[in-house]
Amino acid sequence: MLSLPEIGIYFSIVLFVIGFLGVMFRKNILFMMLSIELLLNAANLAFVCASKITGTIDGQVVMFMVMAVAACEAAIGLALVISLYRTRATIEADDLKLLRG
Amino acid sequence: MDLTTFSFVTLGLLAIIFSVLLVTRRRPVSSAMMLLLVFVLLAGMYGMLDAHFAAVAQIIVYAGAIMVVFVFVIMLLNLPPEELRYGGVTMGEAFLSFIGIAFVVTLGTKIGKGALSSSISLWDASRAPGARMPFFAESENLKNVAALMFTDYLWAFELVSVLILAATIGAVVIAKKRSDDAQSA
Repeated sequence: MLSLPEIGIYFSIVLFVIGFLGVMFRKNILFMMLSIELLLNAANLAFVCASKITGTIDGQVVMFMVMAVAACEAAIGLALVISLYRTRATIEADDLKLLRG
Repeated sequence: MDLTTFSFVTLGLLAIIFSVLLVTRRRPVSSAMMLLLVFVLLAGMYGMLDAHFAAVAQIIVYAGAIMVVFVFVIMLLNLPPEELRYGGVTMGEAFLSFIGIAFVVTLGTKIGKGALSSSISLWDASRAPGARMPFFAESENLKNVAALMFTDYLWAFELVSVLILAATIGAVVIAKKRSDDAQSA
């Protein structure tokens, strides 16, 4: 019988894989950013479960740091999306090939 | 299976269902609402793992602040529903993602099978920074988190505040309408 945090680790694996597939298969940058938020949340769940397994609080502190990084990532990424949509009128990742050789 | 485990598994399964919906919806707003539900369900799971501060911060920061930014940008862009194209992945990309998924699943299964709690562990819990702390009772989660965050992790905390300041300035500068753009348009 698995304990609660060990079940949580398995849930975090599944959530991470779903988010990973979302980043791989969606071509719209907005959906890719939503999937990246899901990836960070899966990592946070793993951190909190590890904190419960080891009986220390470190995982929860690191989870707080990850949350701050996620907020920065969302702010910068969405600013880039707005700027991109204004200059190129598209946010499809395949249509943006200015830097392609 | 006792009631606690049952409700934890229910929350987790619902989170998986809503995250699958999140990556398959065509409208950005539907995806964002699914992500909001995933956030709330994960906050419930944190609460059941005795991480009360994490649960409240999840609701306030993710479901409150980050979701508002996403919904605001979706409203601003006003995109038509996206056409799903599943055929656009090359063999190389599929192979590389298979390797990545296999790595994540192997590592996670190792931790789930008790690599962290066994005596020969990946990480010796008695040598972790938090192990030196005089802990409060486990029910006083916020006291524990605060005591650790403002002693052992003080530098990380200060650096994160600088990072947030830089991100705020960067977002304003990037999203600002440049004057030379307006002249050339």
